[in-house]
Amino acid sequence: MRVAQLTKSATDTQPLVLTKKSSFFNKSNITGWLFALPWIIGLIIFYVFPLGSSIYFSFTTYSILQPGEFVGLDNYKELFKDKIFWISIYNTVYFAVFFVPLSIIFGVSLAMLLNMKVKGMALYRTIFFLPTLVPHVALAVLWMWLLNPGFGLVNGMLDMIGIQGPAWLGSETWSKPSLILMSLWGIGQAVIIYLAGFGDIPEEFYEAAEVDGANWFQKTFYVTLPLLTPVIFFNLVMGTIGAFQQFTLPYTMTNGQGTPANSLTFYVMYLYDNGFKFFKMGYASAMAWILFVIIMALTAVIFLTSKRWVHYQGK
Amino acid sequence: MSKSVKKFGQLMVISILALSLFLAGCSKDQASGGNKGGGKDGKTEVTFWHGMTDITLNGLEEVIKEFEAKNPDIKIKAVYSAGGTDTDEKLLTAIAGGNPPDITYFDRFNIGSWASQGSLEDISEYAANSGITQDSYYPFAWEEASYKGKLYGIPTTTDSRLLFYNKDLFTEVGLDPENPPKTIDELTAAAEKLTIKDGNRFKRIGFIPWYGQGQLYTWGWVFGGEFYDKSTDKVTLNDPKIVEALQWLTDYANKYNIENIASFTDSQGSGDMDPFLTGQLAMQISGPWTVSSIQKYKPDLNYGVTPIPTPTGTDFQTWSGGWSIVMPKGAKNKDAAWKFMEFFGSPEGQKIFSGIVRDFSVIESVNADLGFTEDPILKEFTAILPVSHYRPVIPEGNLLWNEQTAAVEKATRGKGTPQEILDEATDKVNKALEKKQ
Repeated sequence: MRVAQLTKSATDTQPLVLTKKSSFFNKSNITGWLFALPWIIGLIIFYVFPLGSSIYFSFTTYSILQPGEFVGLDNYKELFKDKIFWISIYNTVYFAVFFVPLSIIFGVSLAMLLNMKVKGMALYRTIFFLPTLVPHVALAVLWMWLLNPGFGLVNGMLDMIGIQGPAWLGSETWSKPSLILMSLWGIGQAVIIYLAGFGDIPEEFYEAAEVDGANWFQKTFYVTLPLLTPVIFFNLVMGTIGAFQQFTLPYTMTNGQGTPANSLTFYVMYLYDNGFKFFKMGYASAMAWILFVIIMALTAVIFLTSKRWVHYQGK
Repeated sequence: MSKSVKKFGQLMVISILALSLFLAGCSKDQASGGNKGGGKDGKTEVTFWHGMTDITLNGLEEVIKEFEAKNPDIKIKAVYSAGGTDTDEKLLTAIAGGNPPDITYFDRFNIGSWASQGSLEDISEYAANSGITQDSYYPFAWEEASYKGKLYGIPTTTDSRLLFYNKDLFTEVGLDPENPPKTIDELTAAAEKLTIKDGNRFKRIGFIPWYGQGQLYTWGWVFGGEFYDKSTDKVTLNDPKIVEALQWLTDYANKYNIENIASFTDSQGSGDMDPFLTGQLAMQISGPWTVSSIQKYKPDLNYGVTPIPTPTGTDFQTWSGGWSIVMPKGAKNKDAAWKFMEFFGSPEGQKIFSGIVRDFSVIESVNADLGFTEDPILKEFTAILPVSHYRPVIPEGNLLWNEQTAAVEKATRGKGTPQEILDEATDKVNKALEKKQ
């Protein structure tokens, strides 16, 4: 009773105040939006508008030079019947399936090596990071020479130990592995992120493990790796997205032809050819949106399964 | 800081930012593409995109120099744009974006596809006014530069393809250097004699049919096939003679193992490292530019040329490509640009360019003037020009080119029989052609 009385009197004596908080167009809101406006305009013009146009174009026979006509789902239907489309998907998936896990395994191992308290570690870390600074085209040319079957260094070294090296980029079976090898050269970036992840693991866990009598192997698999899983998760997602969009390396090496025998025809390469060489930008747009759906689905799967294997600290 | 000073400071920063944005927008206009009429010193500046390097660039510079001397009110701004025989993507986006160069050097065989997309200016009127007609050039050059009866480009160079062979190597293995192969069988036999293999590696290869200018186009015509039926407007990649040609290529690949050949070709260089010049390749199909190359890098090479062997040993064929200058749609300085096109395509301009580059002119009289019809090697090239084929002028020229290249890849790698592969390719191109109707 007394509480009700109190509140009643409180509302009685409260003067009527117009709360502007409920209105959208108050001063601080407008100022905020005005400051954000340049970025929003940029987002709309350079991101949303092209995105929307791209969806629209995928339903037409747009060819950059001509607006083309609306053909509905024809581009998509044609894609599913296109043999090279499926070859390009196979090549891209092959690459992603092998490259991403390998890059994580090698990345984490390399990061562990680079995490040791050895003198000159900063120098070693720099050395391993340097390949990522090489422009992709230069990388492609460099590796073309290294993997040259006639006088490349790789076959030269194999020759010294008595193995006759394959024709690498000239061989159908070895062309994609060569590409995976080349791409693994650039894991320096991921390694830096793993190193940061290592730094995040508190010493207490290791001390506790020591006390419990864990050896190096057990420490790695029961302390380090589980606590590194958030970083691995990040690199897995980014790595998958990047692997599916592989373009510069195979395009430069094969001059856009995907030789030998289409074994290096990757998805984005085929998309590029269709869009810019064959005047079929509508078709290429359809390919782009299919790629979007694929990557989106894979990312969703990775996210969904992440709950089971990613251990966030301090949860 | 007092409030008014602070506010003034903010105002200054905002106005400077706004001004710089405005200036950036303005200056971009001037820097892009062609200038609007009055460039510097009141001269009309014509932008000319090209992909030339080395000897050809020298030739271009001479032509420009002569042209500017004759036309002091026009300045040619030659911009290197790495286009090439594949579609020039940079040019494509420039045209679509509305700021193309005034003129560009262009692979003549692309004119059909690009014209059908409405991306080139029709220069028939300019040509008619200047007195340039079909008779001014070799017939195939004019045909290639026209689409649906209208002229879209001025042809500038042309070529033909013959079999180059190393006379010294012939003598070495016991072949008669003055009696090169005339039939396919003789060619295969000679190639075998000239090949030296060391395990899986080739020390020397006699002949690689698909190397250099040995595209399916070459062999298809040599075997007597036709790629395009003008009356039905359909591509005939699966012409029986072409299938036969592809079968021969496949058998050749199987005999020598395609991967080993690929290792060999991948390891080869260009320029002075060209395998024909170093003697690692005994015979190859190539064009007149190799003659200049040999003269520059290995003038003492003892070689000869002969028409490409055919199955019957008679009825020799070849095909010609070549370059041209086209005016992209939306070019700004059309009149001045046309003057340069006209000059380059005139006997005078042709003489300067072909004289330096040693590529053939598209004008018969110029070729005679330059001595091409007398030089023992070059006269073989010019002699075969009257029967030379040219690639079909269709809206899907690039697709057809890609398909015939891919067909050789697939067949030599064993991805289906030549008949299957060519049937599929024919369907694909014809379907695409139908869509363009």
